[in-house]
Amino acid sequence: MSFLAPLFLFGALAVALPIVVHLIRRTSKEKMTFSSLMFLQPAPPRVTRRNRLENIFLLFLRCLVLGLLSLGFARPFFQKPMVPDPQSGAGKKIVLLVDTSASMRRQNLWSLALAKAEEVLGKTSPADQAAVFTFDRQTRSLVSFEQWSSGNAGERAALAAKHLAELKPGWAATHLGSALITAAETFADADKQGQNIGARRIVLITDLQEGARLDGLQGYDWPRGIEVDVEPVKAARPTNAGLQWVVDADDSAQAGAESGPRVRVVNASNSRREQFRINLDGVAGVTPLDVYVPPGQSRIIQAPGLGTNAQGERLTLTGDDDEFDNTIYLVLPKPEQINVLFLGDDSEQDPTRLLYYLKRAFQQTRRQIVRMNARPADAPLAPAELAGARLLIAADVLSDSQLQAAQKFVAEGGAVLFVLKNVGVAQSIGRLVGADNLTATEAPASGYAMFGQIDFEHPLFAPFADPRFSDFTKIHFWKHRQLQTDRLSGARILARFDNADAALLEIPKDKGRVFVLTSGWQPADSQLALSSKFVPLLYSMLELSGDLKAQLAQYHVGDEVNLGSLRPAGPLMVRKPDGSEVNLPAGETRFSQTDLPGIYAITSLQPAGRFAVNLDAAESRTAPLPVEELMRIGVPLKAPEVELRKQADQKRRLHNAELENQQKLWRWLIVVALVVLLMETCLAGWLTRRTTLARG
Amino acid sequence: MNAPTARFETASPSGRRTAGSLIDPQTLMSIKNLELRARVVVEGFWHGMHRSPYHGFSVEFTEYRQYSPGDDPRYLDWRLYARTDRYFIKKFEDETNLRCCLLVDNSRSMTYGSLGWTKAQYANTLAATLAYFLYLQGDAVGLLTFDERIREYLPARHRTGHLRHLMLRLEQPAGGKATDLAAPLKRIIETVKKRALMVLISDLLAPIETLEKNLTALTASGHDVLLFHILDPAELGFHFEKAVMFHDVESERLLFIDPATARKEYLKKLNVHNAAIQTACQKLGIGYRRFATDRPLELALFDFLRERMQRGKRTVKVRPYA
Repeated sequence: MSFLAPLFLFGALAVALPIVVHLIRRTSKEKMTFSSLMFLQPAPPRVTRRNRLENIFLLFLRCLVLGLLSLGFARPFFQKPMVPDPQSGAGKKIVLLVDTSASMRRQNLWSLALAKAEEVLGKTSPADQAAVFTFDRQTRSLVSFEQWSSGNAGERAALAAKHLAELKPGWAATHLGSALITAAETFADADKQGQNIGARRIVLITDLQEGARLDGLQGYDWPRGIEVDVEPVKAARPTNAGLQWVVDADDSAQAGAESGPRVRVVNASNSRREQFRINLDGVAGVTPLDVYVPPGQSRIIQAPGLGTNAQGERLTLTGDDDEFDNTIYLVLPKPEQINVLFLGDDSEQDPTRLLYYLKRAFQQTRRQIVRMNARPADAPLAPAELAGARLLIAADVLSDSQLQAAQKFVAEGGAVLFVLKNVGVAQSIGRLVGADNLTATEAPASGYAMFGQIDFEHPLFAPFADPRFSDFTKIHFWKHRQLQTDRLSGARILARFDNADAALLEIPKDKGRVFVLTSGWQPADSQLALSSKFVPLLYSMLELSGDLKAQLAQYHVGDEVNLGSLRPAGPLMVRKPDGSEVNLPAGETRFSQTDLPGIYAITSLQPAGRFAVNLDAAESRTAPLPVEELMRIGVPLKAPEVELRKQADQKRRLHNAELENQQKLWRWLIVVALVVLLMETCLAGWLTRRTTLARG
Repeated sequence: MNAPTARFETASPSGRRTAGSLIDPQTLMSIKNLELRARVVVEGFWHGMHRSPYHGFSVEFTEYRQYSPGDDPRYLDWRLYARTDRYFIKKFEDETNLRCCLLVDNSRSMTYGSLGWTKAQYANTLAATLAYFLYLQGDAVGLLTFDERIREYLPARHRTGHLRHLMLRLEQPAGGKATDLAAPLKRIIETVKKRALMVLISDLLAPIETLEKNLTALTASGHDVLLFHILDPAELGFHFEKAVMFHDVESERLLFIDPATARKEYLKKLNVHNAAIQTACQKLGIGYRRFATDRPLELALFDFLRERMQRGKRTVKVRPYA
């Protein structure tokens, strides 16, 4: 027999109460006052045998009542074995997720991780199914459920551990979120195949660093019944600082190669050191740079200049415990020269002319140097000049030779911008695009005109599509020309004035395109040159002409590098930092084998292109992430051992309560107690009456 | 001065009074007023007389003594000198008033009583009776009530209102705890320099050693001592039946006593105690009378007078000068 509330059994001690009362009653409570007890000795009271016998039966009944009551309150029940959990007998499904990100290269983390993995695999029973995944930026299956099941039951764990031991941590970032999702979906796939046989658990072996990306989990509806058991590995020495290259977005020419690259030094929040040193490898005569970074903070500093001839260099950081993120590789972009040809009689010193503003619109930057070549409208054009140029701006009536050269330029894919500063230019436009006798008329002067309708979907105006930049109403056009747009086949009007006249139109021609602006930007025609939209509009046009190449600067390990902008003539060959060469198939411009940090060279190009691949900045944030963070975003963690024991206790209590509720033995005990109480009352009453009668 | 005019050897012409003519103590104690109680006792009694123990030069010649230098020449008997040619001092019996001090025990044990009145009430009535009787004789009466310390003290006087004061002091309720004769007796010895009659009324429920020591001190100071030992009949017989908790009024101690088993031992110890007191009194020349509180008070008066008369006859102490 078991009890639901065994503490009530202590109530049985109350049987002492009637016994004590019985004993107390034997001692007289009467008090006799006497003058002095100096001649008296205490005498023990005499108890007659008869008294004790008489009271003992009553005493027994009273004790019985109390005992029955305490027994009833203790809620007794007859124990029955618990129905075993249908899932408990079946084997578990375990996905072992092992972190192979760059941060696992620290100290002895990898050996710790292997030991834990071996332990987890060793604990699996023959009925269990396990799969082993590794993850960094990508999640890879090492041992699938099928492979596990197909193996010999006794050798599965050892085999999986052996596979795991053959691996080494890579250099990629930690995408923990996507890894967990992949593992959870592995269960879902197994469920679909009808292999759901028991509890499902993901065992995560990782250093659980702050830099682990959990983004994918934010909106993920975690499948029910899958719990995650985190087995973190911790580095003995926590100090870690990382170095990152801050790629400048600015275009200022002053930030030249001499000033050196800017680097960010990040110190992990649990570091114990604050003083580090940056060395520039491969450049003689550069003194190391000391930098002070408190734990949990970062500093951006200007590294020593690399020199103009440097093809690729590296910076190293010293002073912390872990080496893996202490080196960055730098390939500084070289400024590209872009030629723009201007055909017109303008003087670049005359502020009333177009060229004056055009010359000043293209400033030299670190990435590019735009060179403006102005030619008079009737000067002959050398083919080399045209070949080097990507944008041709015509502001006057072109001579025949110029027109032919322009036609050839457009046919090869060049872009020509005609500025209709007078009605005569329309003839040249007509001849270029094949619309003979194209004329234009001066628009009637009535105040000013503004852009009334702009096609923001066109790439030229796409950068202005944002409402913050789309206000062109402040640009007043005093004069413009009305072009016979209906005669231009295929012309796309990109902007119209508020009187519906075309303001800017694009006429595709062969491989190239012709833009026509029906007004000028000089002050006599409009305020366009003075507005903030002028320079972005010109750069947008340059980009459309294909002259701005994507810069090959910095990539992170695992990034896919698009080499298409290099316009390779043949198959590409890339040499990796470890010296191995990768040949890409013909026509393939994407290189994805960036699995090592370092400088990659595209050897098939002349001169060879270079790009740097560095460690992901997040990998340097090696301070441990609280496990609760996973719970916060909805990942159910496996309860600790104590919690599990509590749950088991809770379950047992519920089972007992249910049994007790079914049997309800306490009712019978209470009934018996009432009967005994009745007997006791009758007996006590009878005894009292008898005593009264005896006394007379 | 106020010397008794008549002297009686006994309280009645026959010298004895029958028990039936005595006042029942229960009736007597039902009288609330203490003075009235005393008067009832005394008025049923003749004026007693007693021989003064003091010698002086008043009326009655006692003896001659040869003159020694330093004696007052006024008391020289010139006639005898003429006859014998020697100097003799003529001595007379001094009839003086009795100086009596009543020492009444007011300890808490005196509050016990099994008859409807307590030992303290009985002792007070006895003291009042003696005081009234002596007052009527013109003697000076003083009072000292005590427990473990002195509670009330009235020096022995004979003046108007003194008796009234004395009665009032006697009517004060007993409030002390233990019985301690040492302090009161020491005080009385220090205070009363003149030889007097000390009447000690107490239950003497204290260790015999201390009692004997204190009584010795009292007699050593030259006083006549008369001891009335007051005990309740229940104390004397211990005729209880039920086994109950006995509560000691003095020490507040509680003891469970079964009288059937304890009586024999109690009586034995009590008798030993009483016998020891009696022996001590005989040894010290102290008149000892034991009184149960159911005994008529007149008998106490008789005892007092008898004791006085016997003592008067025994008195051999002579002081040349009053």
